[in-house]
Amino acid sequence: MIAFVLRRLLLAIPTLFGVLVVVFLLLYIAPGDPVMEMVGERADAETIARLRAELRLDDPVPLQFAHYAGGVLTGDLGTSYITGRPITRDILERFPKTLQLATAAMLLAASLGITIGVLSARRPGSAFDRLAMGGAYLGISFPVYWVGLILILVFAVTLRWLPPSGFGRVEYLVLPALALGTRSIAFLARMTRSAMLEVLGSDFIRTARAKGLRERVVLGRHALRNALIPIITVLGLDFGNYLTGSILTETIFSWPGIGRYVVNAIARRDLPAIQGSVLFLSVVFVLVNLATDLLYAKADPRVRYD
Amino acid sequence: MRRLLPALLLFIVIGCRGGDSAPQRRTLIDSRDTYDPRTLDPALATDVPSGRAVAYVFDGLTRFTPDARLEPALAERWDVSPDGKVYTFHLRRGVRFHDGTPFVARHVVSSFHRVLDPTTKSTGPWVLYPIDGAREFADRRDRSIRGIVAPDDSTVRITLSQPLSIFLKLLAMPVASIVPDSVGPDFREHPVGTGPWKFVEWRHDDYLLFAKNPDYFDGAPRTDSLRARIIREPSTAVAEFEVGNVDLLYVPEAETRRWEQTDERNATLAAAPALRLWYIGINTTRGPLRDVRVRQAINHAIDVDIILDRLIGGRGRRAAGVIPPVLDGADTTRTPYAHDIGRAKQLLTQAGFPNGIDIELWHSDNESFSRVAQSIQSYLAEADIRAKLVQREAAAMRAAARNGETDMVLKDWYADYPDAENFLYPLLHTTNRGLGGNVSFYSNQEFDRLVDQSRIELDSARRVELYRRADSIAFADAPMAFLFFYNELYAVQPWVRGFQVPVIFNGQRWVEAELR
Repeated sequence: MIAFVLRRLLLAIPTLFGVLVVVFLLLYIAPGDPVMEMVGERADAETIARLRAELRLDDPVPLQFAHYAGGVLTGDLGTSYITGRPITRDILERFPKTLQLATAAMLLAASLGITIGVLSARRPGSAFDRLAMGGAYLGISFPVYWVGLILILVFAVTLRWLPPSGFGRVEYLVLPALALGTRSIAFLARMTRSAMLEVLGSDFIRTARAKGLRERVVLGRHALRNALIPIITVLGLDFGNYLTGSILTETIFSWPGIGRYVVNAIARRDLPAIQGSVLFLSVVFVLVNLATDLLYAKADPRVRYD
Repeated sequence: MRRLLPALLLFIVIGCRGGDSAPQRRTLIDSRDTYDPRTLDPALATDVPSGRAVAYVFDGLTRFTPDARLEPALAERWDVSPDGKVYTFHLRRGVRFHDGTPFVARHVVSSFHRVLDPTTKSTGPWVLYPIDGAREFADRRDRSIRGIVAPDDSTVRITLSQPLSIFLKLLAMPVASIVPDSVGPDFREHPVGTGPWKFVEWRHDDYLLFAKNPDYFDGAPRTDSLRARIIREPSTAVAEFEVGNVDLLYVPEAETRRWEQTDERNATLAAAPALRLWYIGINTTRGPLRDVRVRQAINHAIDVDIILDRLIGGRGRRAAGVIPPVLDGADTTRTPYAHDIGRAKQLLTQAGFPNGIDIELWHSDNESFSRVAQSIQSYLAEADIRAKLVQREAAAMRAAARNGETDMVLKDWYADYPDAENFLYPLLHTTNRGLGGNVSFYSNQEFDRLVDQSRIELDSARRVELYRRADSIAFADAPMAFLFFYNELYAVQPWVRGFQVPVIFNGQRWVEAELR
């Protein structure tokens, strides 16, 4: 187990190095000039030349890369061209907020999605099942942007139950988490339902029922446990996505997370900020995938990693 | 996806009304900032959110009123030498920085040195370049700026390398704000100034919080604190306004008519002409666009009135030149290019293009600009000007335009300071081709001569006349398609008193505003 984790972490290093190289080169060939974004609409050639020199933008690309990669190895992601703040500090300030939002969305998705899926699978074709699957279909199809605005309109503007946007106490978390989680809830419900239906047809379920176990025990302990693998896959993938790309939700709800930070950085061609956050988010993604793999083993004792 | 927005917002408009009762809070809440300010350090402030925040915390020697007049700030009054080169500023006495240090003339000297010092990496040092010796200091050739001295604690004498009529306006820009002596590395996050608001807290991408400076030399602000929220999405800002969480809303263009026509809403609408020009920079050095008749044809082909009415919510005034009508030098009697397809075709034929021309029109991915670009494309097509739309993200578009790679580029220009010079000089003067803002790469000796002369002309009546003549030359030469001057529209909550729409971005400091 520990050997497995170590091996996976070691394997992640070349991946992350690849990310670093690709991001660096992509930004190098992308149109747009960071210094022009720094100076704003009205610029003078002297200032631009001076800033280019200060930022070492005129160095040959391999040298620039070596300089940057050297910093990364010592844990220094550099400072933002635009704001002058250390990238590490910026990320550490914003990532916990994204983590909070993603976790809330996943908790919602896991509790609602799995419950709906299990209940649907219990009596396929029932009114509840049809309603739930119809709803799930819509939930998958609605763009998050639209869902977000509808939620604001209904719960914040019309009913005035919750604040429309911003960051703060738990009431600020509800709407964005719901908007972000909608797709997962819907997807998980469908996934759980089909996985459950497959398991419910197995011999061991018939045996469990024949033993006289209560339906709740059959569903919860025997069937669900065996249907968990695909569910964990979906949860893991979605969680990874939410941690790294909840840009639209953060924008609509003015949530000060890492998604908006990255978008801002891209718009302003803030190279160190883009590189730093992409690298950081890649690490997050690798870790989430690793955690997912470990959960497989937890859910299904037949899966072993050694 | 975004097309659903208008329909959705209609629901919002119908479904509810602005908060009717005054909130209990004693904090003014602004919602205009759409992105996190770059910095709170004046030397680095080049973006609008930073400029606004800097105006709350700091003062310059001069400042702008909401209606863009220039007035004394830290300088109580000034004398100008007859040759227009030496400015003697008499400073206000008894002013203190937020940390208690008394403000004296030395701070002006050190602040300006700081902006020009290359290690500060200021992005707007050009504002202070007119000072004698400023460039030498910025290039590390001199150890100090010879053109600025402080003979005593309440006097600063600034010598310019040549007279400059707009100098006092440059001093009201954020970059020229006065900062204390000890500016630590964290200054950009924890600014200390002399302004009406003291900095309290900055939650990145969320809000900035300021507390009133009870000792402000011009009288303390009338509310306890000021919160500038950062809201990226216009629909979200509208929702926040609807529930009464914010006091001021920048009404999105697409919603203008709805806000103007719904009278059940309690909000007060406040409009003001902005110092903002929408135009198409026509690169006068590329292909058929070198011919003035082709450029005029482009101007004749576009129906600006319809675009204004249908796509901009009527929020603007047709441009016949580059000087906004609210500024001195604008010729409001000049007739814009008439929408006349026949005339456009005729001009093209005269220029030797009877079969029309093929060109590119660049625009950014901003929604309003995209829509306007599409409609311009179809107008141009009617006159056989086949424009291929090239949509790029703003930074890429800007870089291409400045490098002279665009035939035509749809963009806007938002004034840094309220003066006709801020339109004529950066947008069209030969010196500023490319990087400086002249994306038309326009170069006309007579125009340059008039503008150069206006920059050193100290008599305002003569200066206005020079502006007018330069503008008229540019209008005839058509180095751009003159579209319109934009009007700002704000919605203000009924419980807010004393808010005036700022014509210039840093002209509203919320000192007079109160909640009732």
